[in-house]
Order: sequence, then C-alpha cells, then structure tokens
Amino acid sequence: MVSDAERQAVVEFLYREARLADEARYAEWHALWTDDGEYWVPASADPDADPDTQISHIYDNRARIDTRVKLLQTGHRYSQEPASLMRRLISNIEVEKAADGHFIAESNFILGELSIQAKHEMHWWVGRTIHRLRLADGALRMSRKKVVLINAAEPLPNLSFLI
Amino acid sequence: MSDPALSAPDYKALVRDDRIHASLYTDPRIFEDEMEQIFYRGWIFVGHDSEIPRTGDFITRSVGTQPIIMVRGKDGGVAVLVNRCMHRGTMVCAASRGRARTFSCPYHGWTYDLSGELLGVPYPGGYTAFDKSTRGLTRVPRVASHRGFVFASFSERGISLAEHLGAATKLIDRSCDLSPEGRIELSAGWVKHRCAANWKMLPENDSDGYHLGVVHLALFKTVRNAQYQRVVGDERAIKAVVRDWGNGHIEIDWSPGYQRPFEWFGGASGSAVDEYVSAMERRYGAEATQQRIMQGPAHALIFPNLFLGETNIAIVEPLSVEACVHWHTPMFLAGVPQFNRRLLRMAEAGMGPASFLMPEDLTVAARNQVALHARNAEWLELSRGLDREHVDADGRRVSHVTDETTSRGLWKHYRTVMTGG
Repeated sequence: MVSDAERQAVVEFLYREARLADEARYAEWHALWTDDGEYWVPASADPDADPDTQISHIYDNRARIDTRVKLLQTGHRYSQEPASLMRRLISNIEVEKAADGHFIAESNFILGELSIQAKHEMHWWVGRTIHRLRLADGALRMSRKKVVLINAAEPLPNLSFLI
Repeated sequence: MSDPALSAPDYKALVRDDRIHASLYTDPRIFEDEMEQIFYRGWIFVGHDSEIPRTGDFITRSVGTQPIIMVRGKDGGVAVLVNRCMHRGTMVCAASRGRARTFSCPYHGWTYDLSGELLGVPYPGGYTAFDKSTRGLTRVPRVASHRGFVFASFSERGISLAEHLGAATKLIDRSCDLSPEGRIELSAGWVKHRCAANWKMLPENDSDGYHLGVVHLALFKTVRNAQYQRVVGDERAIKAVVRDWGNGHIEIDWSPGYQRPFEWFGGASGSAVDEYVSAMERRYGAEATQQRIMQGPAHALIFPNLFLGETNIAIVEPLSVEACVHWHTPMFLAGVPQFNRRLLRMAEAGMGPASFLMPEDLTVAARNQVALHARNAEWLELSRGLDREHVDADGRRVSHVTDETTSRGLWKHYRTVMTGG
C-alpha cells in the first residue's frame, strides 16, 4: 500500500525529473539515477519485446547513461547544440509499491520539442513511462526508466535529448 | 551553362569530375528521374533471406517510393510483389511483417496467394470473360540474391545482379564470413531514423572519412580509446583508406589502421568473444580466423542505398527530394548468440535517432539541405585527394581515408546511370 506522503514524493520526483530533462540540466538529471540504473526506450512496436534480442532506441546500463550525459556536456553533441526547447506534461500517474520496497510509477506524457539545430521544427513525442524508484541516502532515485513511445517503430527524428 | 531551373536536367553538366551541382539535392524533377533511372531500372536491396525464414513469412518495405511485399513462397523461393490491389489500387498488406497464407484486400475482398496470383473475388457474377490470371499482384520481374541479400529490379531487362555487384560481392562476403556458419541473420528488427535531407547525402556521408573528427567530436572527447584516436589522429599517421570498387560501390577500409584483433568490436575480452573465436576456429581454422577478426566487417555502400555499416546493415529509403529515412539493424552472425547480444548493444550506440553517432550526421545533413537552396554558390566541392589517389592492382581507386575518392566513385556511376548507361 502506498501512503499519501509516499505518493506525493513519487509524483514530485516525476515532475522534477521531467523539468530537469526539459531544461537540459544534465548533471542534476544524471544525479537522479542509482548506481545500477537502466534506461530503456524500446524500438519495437511490442513494448515487451526482449531487449536482448530485439533492438531498442536506448538500452543503457549505468555506464552508458554516463556516456550519454557526458556527450551532451561536451558542448559538441551537435544534434542538441543548442539544446531543443522542451516542455512535457505528465499525467495519469499510478503508483504501486513492489515487494522489494521499490516504487513503480506509471504515467503518460506528451512532450513538445522545438528542434532548433537545423530547421526549426516542432516535434511531438507521446508515450507512457514506467519509473522504478527507491530510496537511496534518504532521497528517491530512479533505478529504471522505461519510455514506451506510441510511434517507437516508426521513423523518428533525432532523439538525442533526454526523453 | 543554361539555368538549370529552366531546362531539363543535364546530368553531364551537373555532375563534374571534381564538383557537383546543388540542384542534384533540391530539384524535384531530378528526384523523379532518380526513381526511374536508379530505383526502377537498377538492382535495389529489398531485404535479407533471414527476415522471412518460413513459408508465408513476409515483410513490407519500399523500393524507391513504391510499396512492396517480400514474401517466402510455398516453393521456398522469395517473391517481391507490388503492395497494390489490382482492383482499385488499395494497399493489400498494412503490417510491416508477419506470416500469411493469402493476401486479402480490405476494400472488396480480392484475395491473392503468396506468389501474387489472384485466387478469387467476391460476387464473380458481375464480371464476364474475367481472366484471373491477368489480374495478379504485380510481381517485380527480377529478383536475385547474394549471401541472402535479396535485390529486386523493376526492369525486365538489364544487367544481372552479379554484373551490378561486380567485385563488390567481396565486401558482402567479408561481412558474412565473420559468421562461423557463413551467414548473417537480420532478426533484431529495424530502427528507422527520419532525415530532413535528400537521400543521397546519407550514402555519401556513410562513405566519408573526412568528417569524423569534426561531426563526432563529442564522442571522440568522451570515449578516449586508441581505436578512435587512430581514426582522427595526425593526417600522415592515419593508415585507413577509401576505395572505389566501380559501379558506385564504395568503401572505407579501417583495417590497415588496426593493430589488434577486434578493434572493430571495441575490444576482445569476455566469454562471448571466447565462444566466438572457438566457433570460428572450428569452422575456418586458426589462420583464417585470425585474419578475419583482425580485418573485421565491411564498411561499404552497395549502390545506391544499401550500407554495410560494419556490424550493422542499413538502408536509405528515399521519400522525396527533401526527405529520407535511414534504417538499420544489427548484423547478427549465425551461430553465436552471446556475441550477437553485444552486436545489438553496439547497434544502439552507433546508429539510430538516440545513438551516439547518427544524430550528428543527420543534423548536418539537414543543415546541408537548408543551405543548398542558396543560389549564389551552386557547386559542391568534390576534389579532395584527386592528386594523391591511385589505382591498385585490382583496378580499384584507393586513397587516404579522408579523401573524396568514395564520393567521386558514387557520382561517376550516378552520372552513367542517369544518362541511360
């Protein structure tokens, strides 16, 4: 059972994570991960496809999350230089507590991205996110973030920002 | 020269030996000509045998801008059918892949078998003297393959696939021979990356060794391993080369710069590598295995739009003069599943919209597409390395990896094809 206070903390985490990603605050976003973090954006039309046999857009372990953030921090990741202007809305949040004490939060999002690196184009990203969160050193951290885009298997423009 | 905006495109004038005209990327008439001359007369990669292993397995894809179905027939052969009902033109199959016994049109129910023959229509009494045999799905007339790579040609006549590929079959072989079973498997699904640029920019960029240290500077600054540094080090120290194999097939060969096995794989440790080397040695012996794991897979364009992207296979799908889609899938090696899991992770790092390389390439391509509409500077330079390239004993033109020998090879063949050769 998730208490009101726990639910509130999880929701605030989701909002904060979204805002840091929207604002390209890479170091602060990076600090939200646990050491065993896993960041997954399937590329298949079947979001439950096995990531060890089916290709994903992103299937990062912690080392690769680090690399992804470092690339953005070089100032030479030209597909995000300058960073896209973004705002995402998060809704339909459902929070559960797993047997191991993790919180599992599922939510829907819609993200408006103004891509400004070549042509100035609006891209709309829509999907469902499953966060796995746990308390580490007194604060919530994410150990897994899975983003299921409704158009994961369609041709996508650059996705080098933090989705 | 007359104003290219007014007269029909003159490809001999637009494609020079050392420069090309910007309208080749921006003129919609040229795009239409390319569909006819390159995509509907020539040999185009459709898919790989391993994507449709069993009878009835199909994939839908495009050849040029035409929708097609590639399907495994009852006889075990592969047919390439135009995905258009012969009644009222409806797309017969909307799934991107699957298994079927028949293809049935959702509009009036005309039903076709796996070879495209029309099996039946509802209420046949409305037709007199109706010859079903003349109303099958259009079969792309010529289909041929090499090492499981299936190519199709909409043209009844013309050179064979073997003539089109020429010596470049060796590039496909180089990749397939990395499998201990001698074959690759494309079973991980495809990632599709949308590109706001003319389709030709991606084959050119895939074969360009000059941009790496600039476009991909973020990666070279972040991942400081020796393999990468050798790619972008001092100009005179770089040993990698580019090659023009003829017929528009072009290659970057990194292997002259490799100093250890598996540099193309990002290192040689772990049980997956041990398992792989053992399997290779059992099949090919120690010496051949050593040579293959040193050299690695091909990095080459098979004209016009199949890219052997080292451990990936990629396709460039033209959409319009201003847009294309870059498809890729990891090139799995039959017989070594553990090794393939690492190839899968490499595919995600290297290609696709969220990868560490391609977003930069496609950003630059989109910026090219915007700027090529400039009318005061109409030409693109293609002269780099003209004075230091040479022809090797096999007749291939070879030069320093940063030279535009590859682009020149591509455009030379383009000019031949576009002028009806």
